[in-house]
Amino acid sequence: MQFKTIKEINFGLVSKKFSVEELIKDTFALINENKVLNCFISLNKENALARAKKIKVSKDSHLLSGIPIAQKDLFCTKGIKTTCGSKMLESFYPPYSSKVEEALNAAGSICIGKTNMDEFAMGSSNETSFFGNVHNPWKKGFVPGGSSGGAACSVAAGLVPAATGTDTGGSIRQPAALCGLTGIKPTYGRISRWGMIAFASSLDQAGPICRTAEDCSILLDAMTGYDSRDTTSLNLDPTNTYADLNKSYENLRIGIVDEFNVDALSKESQTLFNESLKVFESLGASIHKISLPNINQSVPTYYVIAPAECSSNLSRYDGVKFGHRSLEAEDLESLYINSRSEGFGDEVKRRILIGTYVLSAGYYDAYYKKAQQVRRLIKNDFEEAFKDVDLIVSPTSPSEAFEFGSKGTQDPTELYLEDLYTISSNLAGLPALSMPHGFVNGLPVGIQLIGNYLEESMILNFANRFQQSTDFHNAKPTFEGF
Amino acid sequence: MDDQTVRTICYLSRLRLDDEKSKKILSDLDTIIEMIDSLSSTDTENISPLYNPLEETARKFNDEIKSDNNKELFLENAPESDENFFLVPKVVD
Repeated sequence: MQFKTIKEINFGLVSKKFSVEELIKDTFALINENKVLNCFISLNKENALARAKKIKVSKDSHLLSGIPIAQKDLFCTKGIKTTCGSKMLESFYPPYSSKVEEALNAAGSICIGKTNMDEFAMGSSNETSFFGNVHNPWKKGFVPGGSSGGAACSVAAGLVPAATGTDTGGSIRQPAALCGLTGIKPTYGRISRWGMIAFASSLDQAGPICRTAEDCSILLDAMTGYDSRDTTSLNLDPTNTYADLNKSYENLRIGIVDEFNVDALSKESQTLFNESLKVFESLGASIHKISLPNINQSVPTYYVIAPAECSSNLSRYDGVKFGHRSLEAEDLESLYINSRSEGFGDEVKRRILIGTYVLSAGYYDAYYKKAQQVRRLIKNDFEEAFKDVDLIVSPTSPSEAFEFGSKGTQDPTELYLEDLYTISSNLAGLPALSMPHGFVNGLPVGIQLIGNYLEESMILNFANRFQQSTDFHNAKPTFEGF
Repeated sequence: MDDQTVRTICYLSRLRLDDEKSKKILSDLDTIIEMIDSLSSTDTENISPLYNPLEETARKFNDEIKSDNNKELFLENAPESDENFFLVPKVVD
């Protein structure tokens, strides 16, 4: 069952080659054999096996019926431990489920377990998790990317066909790229944030990580749709991207961003990028140079807005109603301070402190308000660009996967630059996808497609056509060093 | 960041930094502030802030009670509780 796509598993279930119960048992056996990857924080074995016994799949069933799915440990799952990769929530059992979990359950899929992640989704290498580093299945001791590192690892290692992720500054697309997978962050508001543990509410958006664009479209369609419990949920029907995979989008105009300066990348990365552009042209697309004049301010803008929202969202963790409580408290004040100081890791503390700083009296206008003004300029640049092009293309990440501890230990901003190409679509709320397009030093790298608002169908359709003409998405990890 | 600012920010964040780690974290904060300072080079005169990417979505809804009182369920996650209450250290003498 290892390395099968949703479509392949569905075919096996419908044609009775195997039962849902056999599939789920096999999935847990695979997870057990690959424990060294550390991609799961907790498993949902008993419930999953009980649910598997009840599910019968026919040709009329939803394509996700009986499909094992790994949930990022940031989605609340009723009665299943949800830690967000933090000591703070080490023993938190949510009393309700997220909309994403409800929706995937309703489609018939089976939650296999909760995947490892950077603490509170703050990180680009999965090295900030309280539960330890996740290995990239392509090479032991190398990062899978982050923050949805466990999710990407579980799919890349072929343990599950699909996983959910969340993306605040690239946390679906960058790990998908570093693990050789396809992942999409839809338009802000497409997927309800109800029951998603908040990091930066105006940037957070859920999405799927799968082997193929086709599988991503199946999962995305099941995850999207209006939810009155999230006041930023778009009042629209669920997406219909799977049906639109067969739609014909003729003569697409694709923009390359001047300011992204692809020439500064390694020779191998440049070659791959140019070869992919040739494939795009062979699919009938035309390539155009475009300018996004304020795009180089994306990283500083993000590192004001995201920490500001994080410092506000994470103020709820005070050791009173849920989460870690310090045993060393003399009074209420020391209960707050000690619980938070013991419960949060260094990266989370750094971001809370920066967020508090930029929101504090005297600095608010210079940093917070200023960043939100630059954010509008970035959004305006995209709106202008989409008058001339249908999609924007860039590398997903500046480099391939790197060794644990090799980036950001001396200077944290070194790791922040990992998100250079992905952050701007979160600031503007635009949909964006990463798909594999080759290898550098034997490790996979990704190419990113950014679309205009609500154009998920166009993005997935084009990615699917790219994957029909190339073979990168079929590559399996070599498990080097394991 | 000078010492006084750091003390204020830590207090506002209800965080304490260990002595051994605080030097590293403070030097990291200075590096980050240096990076975000580059925003000042962008001209934003007459540009209104964009607080949410899709401005029209922050809808309101009527304040109606829709779920049952799940008191017991919510108290299950409390580090300390007593019958109907969350327990905290004594706040008045």
